[in-house]
Amino acid sequence: MADRQGASIAGTGSSWLRWRYKLTINWQNPTSLIGVLMTLLFLYLIAVPIISLLHDSVEVQFGDARRTGAEIGAWTSYYFDRVLLSPISRKIFWEPLVNTLSVASGAISISLTIGGLMAWLVSRSDMFGRRWFATALIVPYMLPSWTFALAWRTLFKNREIGGQPGWFESMGFSPPDWLAYGQLPITIILALHYTPFVILLFGNALKRFDSQLEDSARILGAGPGVVARQIILPLMLPSLVSAAVLIFAKCLGEFGVSYVLGLPVNYDVLAISLYRSIASRQAGAAAVLAGAIMLIGILSLLIDARLMREARKFVTVGGKGSMNRASRLGVLRLPATAFAAIIFITGVGLPIIVLLLSTIMRIPGDFSLSNFTLDYWIGRNLEFVGLRSGILLTPELWHAVWNTIFIVGIASIFSGVMGLLVGYVVARSPIRAVAMFLRQVTFFPYLVPGIAFAAAYLSLFSVPRGPIPALYGTSIILILALAADHMPFASRAGISAMMQLGKNPEDAAQIAGAGWLRRMTSVVIPIQKGAFVAGILLPFISGIRGLSLFVILAVPATDVMTTYSLRLLDYDYTQAANAVVVIISAIAYFGTLAAQKLTRTNLAEGLGG
Amino acid sequence: MPDISLVEVNKSFGGSAIKAVSDLSLTIGDGEFMCLLGPSGCGKTTTLRMIAGLENLTSGAISVGDMTVDSIEEGLFVPPEKRGMGLVFQSYALWPHLTVERNTDFGLRLRGIPKQEREERVLHVMQKMGIEQYRDRYPSQLSGGQQQRVALARMLAINPEVLLLDEPLSNLDARLRLEMRAELKRIHSEFGTTVIFVTHDQWEAMTLATSIAVMHEGALQQVGSPDDIYARPANRFVAEFVGSPPINIVEFGSHIQSQLSDLVRDLLAKSGQPRDQAGSIGLRPEKIQLCLSPGQVPDGQFGGSAILVSVLPTGGSWILELDIGGTTLFTTANQPPEFNVGSEIWFYSDWSELHVFDADGNHFPSDNHVAAPAIGNGSDTQKPQRALS
Repeated sequence: MADRQGASIAGTGSSWLRWRYKLTINWQNPTSLIGVLMTLLFLYLIAVPIISLLHDSVEVQFGDARRTGAEIGAWTSYYFDRVLLSPISRKIFWEPLVNTLSVASGAISISLTIGGLMAWLVSRSDMFGRRWFATALIVPYMLPSWTFALAWRTLFKNREIGGQPGWFESMGFSPPDWLAYGQLPITIILALHYTPFVILLFGNALKRFDSQLEDSARILGAGPGVVARQIILPLMLPSLVSAAVLIFAKCLGEFGVSYVLGLPVNYDVLAISLYRSIASRQAGAAAVLAGAIMLIGILSLLIDARLMREARKFVTVGGKGSMNRASRLGVLRLPATAFAAIIFITGVGLPIIVLLLSTIMRIPGDFSLSNFTLDYWIGRNLEFVGLRSGILLTPELWHAVWNTIFIVGIASIFSGVMGLLVGYVVARSPIRAVAMFLRQVTFFPYLVPGIAFAAAYLSLFSVPRGPIPALYGTSIILILALAADHMPFASRAGISAMMQLGKNPEDAAQIAGAGWLRRMTSVVIPIQKGAFVAGILLPFISGIRGLSLFVILAVPATDVMTTYSLRLLDYDYTQAANAVVVIISAIAYFGTLAAQKLTRTNLAEGLGG
Repeated sequence: MPDISLVEVNKSFGGSAIKAVSDLSLTIGDGEFMCLLGPSGCGKTTTLRMIAGLENLTSGAISVGDMTVDSIEEGLFVPPEKRGMGLVFQSYALWPHLTVERNTDFGLRLRGIPKQEREERVLHVMQKMGIEQYRDRYPSQLSGGQQQRVALARMLAINPEVLLLDEPLSNLDARLRLEMRAELKRIHSEFGTTVIFVTHDQWEAMTLATSIAVMHEGALQQVGSPDDIYARPANRFVAEFVGSPPINIVEFGSHIQSQLSDLVRDLLAKSGQPRDQAGSIGLRPEKIQLCLSPGQVPDGQFGGSAILVSVLPTGGSWILELDIGGTTLFTTANQPPEFNVGSEIWFYSDWSELHVFDADGNHFPSDNHVAAPAIGNGSDTQKPQRALS
């Protein structure tokens, strides 16, 4: 202490030396510098768009000056009033909210029931082929959710909307509206899509559950019923509730299914209402809607975080002696297997087969051999005005494929690199505040449904701001939005990889004489190769099947495969639209398998993305 | 290699007021095998990492010879990669993506050593460590002991003048640990390297070191040869930390009534020491002898009656638990004890074996030992008996 004071009294010379000391250290280890740069970057890519969006909701937008009776850019409560209180608010906000909530709660109860049962059968019973089912039942989650919506529409479409009839219609049975469109099909399809989610989350919890906990209760005299009620259920409850909350958050931003099955009967959910507002250029109302979606999303995930923290209190129950014992199903073994098979067939087999068949049938639902054709894939001179040749011979498809690979690819590489760097900075930064901030800001998009995030990007980048030109209509806005949207997964993967690696291998290289750049290139990056590849591939695959970001931000010139298939659907080129979706599903499915093989990662880890 | 000296080194993390290392001054001479010994969290690993340059100082200075390598006051910091030291980590920190050979020649490549010389040196050091047959394996394909050898080889390859070891043996099983200890000793004498070794294992420190620095709560407690540390502990912490089974400590103060402490109090009074400053006494278990009757207590020694409470065989030696008027003492024996558990026996020891610590735990009197007092010789052997009766 005495020395220190002496030094500071000595004056400028000494403080210069101190400064030089700090400079030397930071020059040799640029982690702090990178940390600061990353902080600025993510402030701009994540925080600023959301602030801009929220700001839009209280500022008079272009074209609204007369209606609000104020100048453009003035402060106004008009948009809140319009969305939440005005006579039209019922149509814009309250009805979609009720629809969203009822669809979500329906989907949650169905997927929890079926998924919970399946999870138990797969992880804790002696059902036949449970290994195979463990993978097979997850498949619906790998496919885009509106794949099922298209399959449903192919089967149940009625005369409510024009174009080619559905299979049942052409077979002589006309499905009523409530079966063909709206709440029921949307609920069923979302339930099917999110059941794997429950199987993964709940199944993992069940697998970790130590049989000895059950055994101890048994030995103390508890019957199976008491064990289930007092031991298993309380310990499993957090994972079930957590699955429910996560499904809810995902339903909140769900766009594709409602677009395909809700629009014909004007069954709007919040995401659709937001889409309508944006499409009709009501930026202010869109901002309020997006803000509302965001708020509900954040609230639900905060609840989840809270619950998980509660649940973590139980984590210690695992430990070394953990045992996982299969229950015997006895007579129920065969029926249980049959039930799982039925779930697989309705959840995966049937939709895929329907979609595939629909692309090679001229008249839907006519199974005579002459009705089958490959024309919609590779034919020429078709009868459609806008689509003269089979989908594989259409330049627009290849344009969309290229766009998809280019946009999603660059975004994934960008987010993968950034994820690793964030991980590095979080694990190493000497400035705690930077590490904390980066960890949180990169996680934030997770709380915001994709469609609301897209609205935020639209709000920020649709007009030139400062040195940055208007990006709407370019692929840059898509790349940036997608990359930012991937950051929660990428940064979490990066942080956990870096934490797992620890500091020692790098320290050892430093001791051996390697400078910072050398340590990065010959130690850190080679060791993290696997995590790095996974951090690029998994977002790439989920990006390919993504829709909600693109539907807001893409224009025809930047069409990706998903928006292209929606466009085809709008023109009622059912076969072509379905064909594109089949292609996307195939890429998503085989891509996931390949990525898992290649990186030995598990889909379950990628769930956050 | 010139001496390494640490001058009033302080280290606290993240601006916290708690010092991981406080006012540490220590010099490590050329060719020394210095052990930093202390319980976990005492700052020994931090000290090692500061010497390596992996941590910056909060204040103070570290120099190697007359070159300062880290000092805020002088504005100097030599990064670890320029210090030319070797460091073996507790977890070994082998690079999982490189083979044994590539792990070993990493440092040499960085130094731009020509291929032929590099290969020779790598082969030499791999042979020395007995790992040349694993040269193409990856670390995950090696056992713990083999990994440890690779970690050593990797550092020895660059021929460091200082080898820093951070608990390198703690992940090995007992037999391997013994082998590696011998190996480290051999390396030290063969390569002539200065070694700084961090451990919490006093046994390891005793067997390996030429000198030991005992640390506690970031502060240096004592530096000395293993014998010094054991026989002449500077304070109660050192006395208690070193030795197994640990030294017997008997507290005394006004509120603690014990025959032993009464005995020492008398003793202190007679030797003219201010008795109220004394806090406790220590007596190493192996310095306590047992006999069946007071008549067998040799002249000039102190002792008293005790009850044998239990006998714990440790294979080849025995630990005996004694009860002396409510105070528990442990002693060791190399012969199976001929006494029955529960029987009354007599213990005795030499006055010179008593360590007396003051209320702050410092050894007292300062010449480390209770001077064999006149009472022992002078008056009679009944003195202790009187005291204990």
